[in-house]
Amino acid sequence: MSTPAFHKDILKIDDVEKLVEKITDRLRKDVTGKLRRYGGVIGISGGIDSSVTMALAVRALGAENILGVMMPEKDSSPDSRELANNLANQFKVQTIVEDITGALDGYKCYERRDQAVKDIIPEYDPSSHKMKIGIKQSNPGSKLPPVFHLTVVKPDGSEIIKRLPTKQMRTIIAASNFKQRARMSFLYYHAERMHYAVIGTPNKHEVEQGFFVKFGDGGSDVFPIGKLYKTQVYQVAEYLDIPREIIERVPTTDTYSAEQTQEEFFYQFPFEQLDLLWYGYENNHNPAEVGKVLDMTGEVISMIYRNFERKSDTTSYLRMQAINDYDFI
Amino acid sequence: MENTGNLQKELFAYVKENTFKEIKSLTSDTMLFVEGIFDSMGFVLLLDFLEENYQIVTDDEDLIEENFESIDAITAFVLRKNSTVVQ
Repeated sequence: MSTPAFHKDILKIDDVEKLVEKITDRLRKDVTGKLRRYGGVIGISGGIDSSVTMALAVRALGAENILGVMMPEKDSSPDSRELANNLANQFKVQTIVEDITGALDGYKCYERRDQAVKDIIPEYDPSSHKMKIGIKQSNPGSKLPPVFHLTVVKPDGSEIIKRLPTKQMRTIIAASNFKQRARMSFLYYHAERMHYAVIGTPNKHEVEQGFFVKFGDGGSDVFPIGKLYKTQVYQVAEYLDIPREIIERVPTTDTYSAEQTQEEFFYQFPFEQLDLLWYGYENNHNPAEVGKVLDMTGEVISMIYRNFERKSDTTSYLRMQAINDYDFI
Repeated sequence: MENTGNLQKELFAYVKENTFKEIKSLTSDTMLFVEGIFDSMGFVLLLDFLEENYQIVTDDEDLIEENFESIDAITAFVLRKNSTVVQ
């Protein structure tokens, strides 16, 4: 079969209704047939991915067989809870709130993270300052991998930005990952007590570029939107009548105390562009052909492809199950 | 100041010890990131190594491929940085 010509609408879903039917039909079979569970537990954050996943799960399994779990902590945006609540009410899904701040205090998540921040920016005061880490925008065609920077935001809005050395970068990320892993524990607690499956919310980019925490938000039984590009998630969201304020909200990490978009933290491109770039890379579209559509040179597209390949390789460890073929007896 | 030959030898040793890739041939102009010898973690570790061992400070504007793409480029970068410090 020949590859279709690359164009800017190549990822547009022609028949959303049919796609939704296919996903929900498969999800029903997976949960009740393969996983042999009565329903699904979903962590809902008021973000687009968890909202679409929940709406799909309701169609697949019925609202009475879905539990939405909200798991805020002290750095979460207060909007998240309200948006998740409105969503659950609209879809008539029962919800539970599990505040994970206490669990995170027990893990010393904040203490470990804040100490690493202070190592780099000694004046950081977690009681009044906010912090975030992210990739500083570099030339998209650069052959060098991007590096992480730490930003501390003072009460007057001024920022101190420093490049993160390896040790502190790894400590901040590892400490912050307690958040996703604490959430995973709560989801499995509720799933086990109700004999439900944990329905995961990562989209295609998160799965394939490794933007998830192993055994955290990556720890689920099924990923119904794991093959959808972000723009397709939005298309499905429109069809499923997801609340407008969720569709219009800029996707954030909701992990650090300072506001931070996913583009800033990890992806480096707006989703409309990222989707097309990843599609071009995945389907071996000629860089010059892709460049013409995206108004970039073929050379820059080639470097972006190479960076995608590197990202995919670097994060393959996250997608691996425990290696268990030690058949030496 | 660091001698070019010694510096290159140390950098060769560092690259060989710290890559996860099986290197078939490594020359001073091998493209370390294009060839996948170092990934993003490899890059930050390299920056830490250079700062700790050669008393240089890398600024954001230094983080360009011309300074890090190969052992030749890193050598020139470290020597240039060191000479700036000496002056």
